[in-house]
Amino acid sequence: MGVQPVIVSAGFSEHASKRSDVNMAELMNEAIEDALSKCNCTIDDIDCFINGNMPAFEGANIPELWMTDHMGAKNKPFMRVTTGGTTGGSIAIAAYYAVASGLYDTVLATAFEQQSCGSTTVGLSSVALGEVSIYLELGYDYEKLRRNMGAGAAIGVGAYQAVNYMRRSHCTEEDLARVVVQNRHNAAKNWWTHLKMPNYTIEQVLDTPYISYPLRFGMVTPASDGSCAMIYTTEENAKKFTDTPVFVNGVASVSNETAIVTSEAGGVGQIDPCVQLGAKISAKLAYEQAGISFPEKEIDYAEVYSPFPNQELMWLERLGLFEENTAHIQYREGITAPDGDLPVNCSGGVNSTNAIGASALERVAEAALQIMGKAGNQSPKEIHTAIGHGWGGALNLITLSVLADQSRRKYKGGI
Amino acid sequence: MKGEILTTKGAVRAEFDFWVGLYLDKFLEGLEQKKFIGNKCSKCGKVYIPPRKICGDCFEHIEEYVDLPETGVLTNFTFTKWAISERRPRQSKNIKMIGLVKLDGADSAMLLPILETEPENLKIGMKVQVVWSEKPQGQPSDIKGFKPIGGA
Repeated sequence: MGVQPVIVSAGFSEHASKRSDVNMAELMNEAIEDALSKCNCTIDDIDCFINGNMPAFEGANIPELWMTDHMGAKNKPFMRVTTGGTTGGSIAIAAYYAVASGLYDTVLATAFEQQSCGSTTVGLSSVALGEVSIYLELGYDYEKLRRNMGAGAAIGVGAYQAVNYMRRSHCTEEDLARVVVQNRHNAAKNWWTHLKMPNYTIEQVLDTPYISYPLRFGMVTPASDGSCAMIYTTEENAKKFTDTPVFVNGVASVSNETAIVTSEAGGVGQIDPCVQLGAKISAKLAYEQAGISFPEKEIDYAEVYSPFPNQELMWLERLGLFEENTAHIQYREGITAPDGDLPVNCSGGVNSTNAIGASALERVAEAALQIMGKAGNQSPKEIHTAIGHGWGGALNLITLSVLADQSRRKYKGGI
Repeated sequence: MKGEILTTKGAVRAEFDFWVGLYLDKFLEGLEQKKFIGNKCSKCGKVYIPPRKICGDCFEHIEEYVDLPETGVLTNFTFTKWAISERRPRQSKNIKMIGLVKLDGADSAMLLPILETEPENLKIGMKVQVVWSEKPQGQPSDIKGFKPIGGA
């Protein structure tokens, strides 16, 4: 059965497009100090550290060795986890297991990204150029391949998802813009977010040029510098550290198809990139562990990893929170606003702030803070159960953490 | 498998920046005036050079800046005939000496070239003194290296 992991605190650094006032180690330190300041836990209470970011985005390999002092991790167990866009989600899961296994009592989960140091597109070209594998299969050499490629990086994946999603659900570009506007308005109410746009309108979004159809400049995620830290501990320790513990009742990490449009690369014959079977399976696994039978009714809050607005709609459906092809209608009706029935991404989401390695951990952190009632843009609704989701990697990895204000761990195993 | 296998080559240009941050910035500013600036932890008294935000032992913010002398002690060294360039390592005519230098009064050491001596003279614990470049520009290269005090 294992030990019940509990989240007692979550902290952030300030996010911006260029945090040139700090180096990577100092940036990471900011989030750790914020997390420690929000609970009665000191650095001496931490038994184990987990850290990660996108590999080589900053041109610094093994950055965690440089950061050790700035994390307060000297002479303590330390593990680096890095799984592309889901790095943060995998870090949350690693922290969960470190506590659940009984090996460590209190674990500091940390993630960062300082994208302004490097070229994100170069970093991503090895993992997520939408057309890479399809052209390789056709026998293109590298030079031709680069010349023929359209939108690179994650948008090369997002655009194909969007086209298929729009065909399935009949959602319009205006619907996509509505998702963006909600996110940017939410971000404006959080101190740590990047794109704070309190007066953004749907018309303004639709007035920006396409980057890769149907995604426009005004719809896409920024590249941010920032960091996030969370403290996981046991139920017993949590009583000492905080009055508002958040229980982690289920986690899952599933990948069963490529993120990229291709018939072969993943060996699974996937041709519709918005099917997202991996998300459905990870949801089933995590909900089962958490004892959730009716996610659409039982889950009060969702933080989903959506650099592009179509993904936010898609994930909410695939994770079982809305019926398929209906998410955009919920946005029209304001269901997902902070004061709606199912608030989504009150932090502004990845669409407003994207320090890639930290982004998926920030989803879990915000979900936990909403349950604690300590979030920057706190929903007025009482939140008992929340999810933090992550997406990334060329193999479409989905991470999911299910959090609640009480222990409900009823894991039976298997699916 | 028989027959020729087709291979392709490609290059991706990757350029990176590095933000030094406010603490290292202070160090580089000092170099411009041919001065070593470190900082001192108020809790354990450790002196770090270059200065840094957090003391690794105490996890405390370090606020107090201190000036350090131009002399120090060699704590470790090596020498090599190989020079590393961007493309590939190559052998050079001169033997290059590199050493870890702990400035007097500091608790951390810096890895820098050792100049104006011969490899056989290098000893752990020997006294060394900085050699500045003629026109310091606030860059790490302002420190040409260290040489033994009194010549050797």
